[in-house]
Amino acid sequence: MTDPITIQNVIFSYQAHQPVLQLADLTIPRGSFTLLYGPSGSGKSTLLRLLAGLLPKYGGHLNAQAAINLAPQETAMLFQDPSLQFALDTPQHEAEFALENLQVHRHQMRHRIRDAFATVGISDLADRQFATLSGGEKQRAALAVVIAMHRPVILLDEPFASLDAKNRALLLAQLQAQVAAGKTVIIADHDLANYQAVQPQIIRFDRAHQATQLPEAAAQALLTAAAQPIALPTQAARTWPAAIVGRKLVLERPHQRLLDQANCQIPANKITLLTGESGSGKSTLLKCLAKLVPYQGELTLQGRSLQKYRPRQWGRQVGLVFQHAADQFLNVTMAEELALSQAQGRHPYFTPANLTAAIDLLGLTGLADRVVYSLSGGQQKKLQLLVMLMMGQPVLLLDEPFAGLDAASAQAVRQLITACQAVQPATIIVVSHQLAGLAGWVDCHLHLSHQQLQDLAEVRS
Amino acid sequence: MSTRYHLKDIILLALIGIIFGVIYYAGDFIYNGFSILLTPVGLGPMANDLTMGLWCMAGPMAAMLLRRPGAAFLGEFLGAAGEMFLGGQWGAANLISGFVQGVATELGFAVTRYKHYDWLGLASSTFFATLITFGWDWFRNGYAHFSLGLNLILLVARFISMFVFCGVLVKLIANLLERAHVIKPA
Amino acid sequence: MNPSLKLLLVLLLSLEISFTQKLVVNLLLIAVGLGLVIATRPGLLTLLRLLVVPAIPAATLSITIGLFTPGHDWFFAAVLASRVYVYVLLGSAVTLSTPPLRLARSLEQNAHLPAKFAYGTLAAINLLPRIVTAVKTIKAAGQMRGVTLSFWSPRLYFKAILSAITWSEQLAQAMESHGFVENQPRTVAQPIPLSKIDWLRFVGSFGLAQVVLIAFP
Repeated sequence: MTDPITIQNVIFSYQAHQPVLQLADLTIPRGSFTLLYGPSGSGKSTLLRLLAGLLPKYGGHLNAQAAINLAPQETAMLFQDPSLQFALDTPQHEAEFALENLQVHRHQMRHRIRDAFATVGISDLADRQFATLSGGEKQRAALAVVIAMHRPVILLDEPFASLDAKNRALLLAQLQAQVAAGKTVIIADHDLANYQAVQPQIIRFDRAHQATQLPEAAAQALLTAAAQPIALPTQAARTWPAAIVGRKLVLERPHQRLLDQANCQIPANKITLLTGESGSGKSTLLKCLAKLVPYQGELTLQGRSLQKYRPRQWGRQVGLVFQHAADQFLNVTMAEELALSQAQGRHPYFTPANLTAAIDLLGLTGLADRVVYSLSGGQQKKLQLLVMLMMGQPVLLLDEPFAGLDAASAQAVRQLITACQAVQPATIIVVSHQLAGLAGWVDCHLHLSHQQLQDLAEVRS
Repeated sequence: MSTRYHLKDIILLALIGIIFGVIYYAGDFIYNGFSILLTPVGLGPMANDLTMGLWCMAGPMAAMLLRRPGAAFLGEFLGAAGEMFLGGQWGAANLISGFVQGVATELGFAVTRYKHYDWLGLASSTFFATLITFGWDWFRNGYAHFSLGLNLILLVARFISMFVFCGVLVKLIANLLERAHVIKPA
Repeated sequence: MNPSLKLLLVLLLSLEISFTQKLVVNLLLIAVGLGLVIATRPGLLTLLRLLVVPAIPAATLSITIGLFTPGHDWFFAAVLASRVYVYVLLGSAVTLSTPPLRLARSLEQNAHLPAKFAYGTLAAINLLPRIVTAVKTIKAAGQMRGVTLSFWSPRLYFKAILSAITWSEQLAQAMESHGFVENQPRTVAQPIPLSKIDWLRFVGSFGLAQVVLIAFP
């Protein structure tokens, strides 16, 4: 039990000669709080799934020399998407399902579940339908199930992606308590902002799909830097004419209010950056503007209420670049995606010559016949941005457009957007947790926290 | 059959049935529309026949996706089992129609010896689905009492519906999935 | 009654009335079904929906039979209309009185259905809200590219199936992470009894239905 977890000679790939993870030698002490940190696509999630025994069972190839001294039966996992990890309808039933699987006798089941739910503080949620729980409550329920299972190693794959600050703090505290009780906690995350209080050991994953353990000082420096709020040099939104105006705007998820704002406005034909802790509701706000989630209050575009637009008209007014690139595609190959946007798109910038140049700028040349779903994460992201820019809607909403892009690609994307703006400016809102390179490119900076949108230019002055 | 189906296949089959149900319901009660239009001219039951193809799509789709014996039946039947608790008003009666439609669509692939996940298999599935569901309605929905002429019209309507949705549309979807390398070429 | 037996009984009765033409029996079964439905204390809206939605197919069939067939057989028209209501009310009596999990547990314990079928289907059912959102998102993605996707558009189904494949793998992994192993024995949190009384009730109800079927025209 006290032997550390060692991972040796691991090479994992989905396609031949394209490893998504290469680890020569990595040690994770038992009873530690370990953070696998790196950009999306760097292999940290793959490592978690290898440890859980889900890979290579669910696809991919692991080299024969690989040695991991951790049995999958010792682990249980919390997944990134809180609603895709339960088979049953309530936390109580899910816990029963899990303990039935472990062949626990039903007389022991009851108190094991009761204790675990009490530990995580979700006893009052035991019989609630998952559909009525917030993301944070679901993740805590998932943790309770794992605790009831008495698994010594708890794996978490970006568990905070849709959690509000309160639930995140609760979950982190409970994980710390589990570590104090002797369990091993391993989390994969691309964002360090939440972890300063926990002082985890950090294993850094890079784009070459390799991992190195950071010395304590370096880890400390990273954590401290991540905790600092960054304000970019911007101008106040209200100094420009507004395109989108919200009054008494209220936005909710089940049992959680995300936004309650008396007045807000988005300047016309400018680039507005929208930041906020993960789970604060940034994506939901974009979806609300795309009319994909309901809202209360009043919301107007160029003085006309959103309610008055029919779906078809609205699609011509507002483009939402989804966080998950594949959601955007409607066809099979890249050539077909481009052809559709050429046929339907209205952005005057994209003359044939400019389009070819843009494809080249984004490094997508020669991929025309590739299946879009088989492109790398970065290529999908860039293609997604290109086909949406070509549509030329007056309002463009970008949800984490730089996630999974290297610095050069992100720069190319910004360059292309700037070029488009020069020909036909659009009102652009960018949600991004990565701020590198955004100074001077964005015009305004709104920050969402505690259900309020703050204009950081006004806060500063 | 149970050894050939893993947990993820079963979830996928049930999901396909439910998704097709959701899309159907989102299509705004086409059945009711047809029914109200056609009943005054004596062709009311045709609403059932014209929409039958939509109801039976999950079966052939599942077969084209998983390409193994039982897929069409399970896709249709598990979907119906799901809708029993979701769709509401038809309750357990859903299971019976799901069973009949499942057998009907499966048979087409069975007689082609589970080797034709292509035009032939789909055409055969369409053919059997038309005949068997029609035979079922002969008893259950009183088609036996209609005139021969009306029955012929209904049979043709049903075949067209099956052909369009379970044949052409499923093939078009399968082509997309094939080109996206989700399923291997036939 | 034991959920599996209850389901079996309703399926048998529904099948039986599909092949018989006894108006009185249908009306009796409607009365029983309605009683059972009301006993589950459904909301007014549910009850109304149960009574109104079948009206369209019931009316369609009976009007066609009564007005447009050579025999103008209004008796048979009434049989058909009442049949639709039997299906709906008996069927709903099962689903309203039995939560999906209880039926799944009963099928697993009493009918020895492999657990992967019972829980795989349950997992898919519980994903419904997600499915509805996904279909909406696909349609929105279409609108934003100038394409309207409807129930006849291959691309709508194509995208939905791609999502379903991702979800099924994700859910299967999550269930495995919660200890599920195919074909491995499991304990039960809640035993679903299958007693002699259940069998008696089942045989009794079914027998009674046969007597009524024979006794009435």
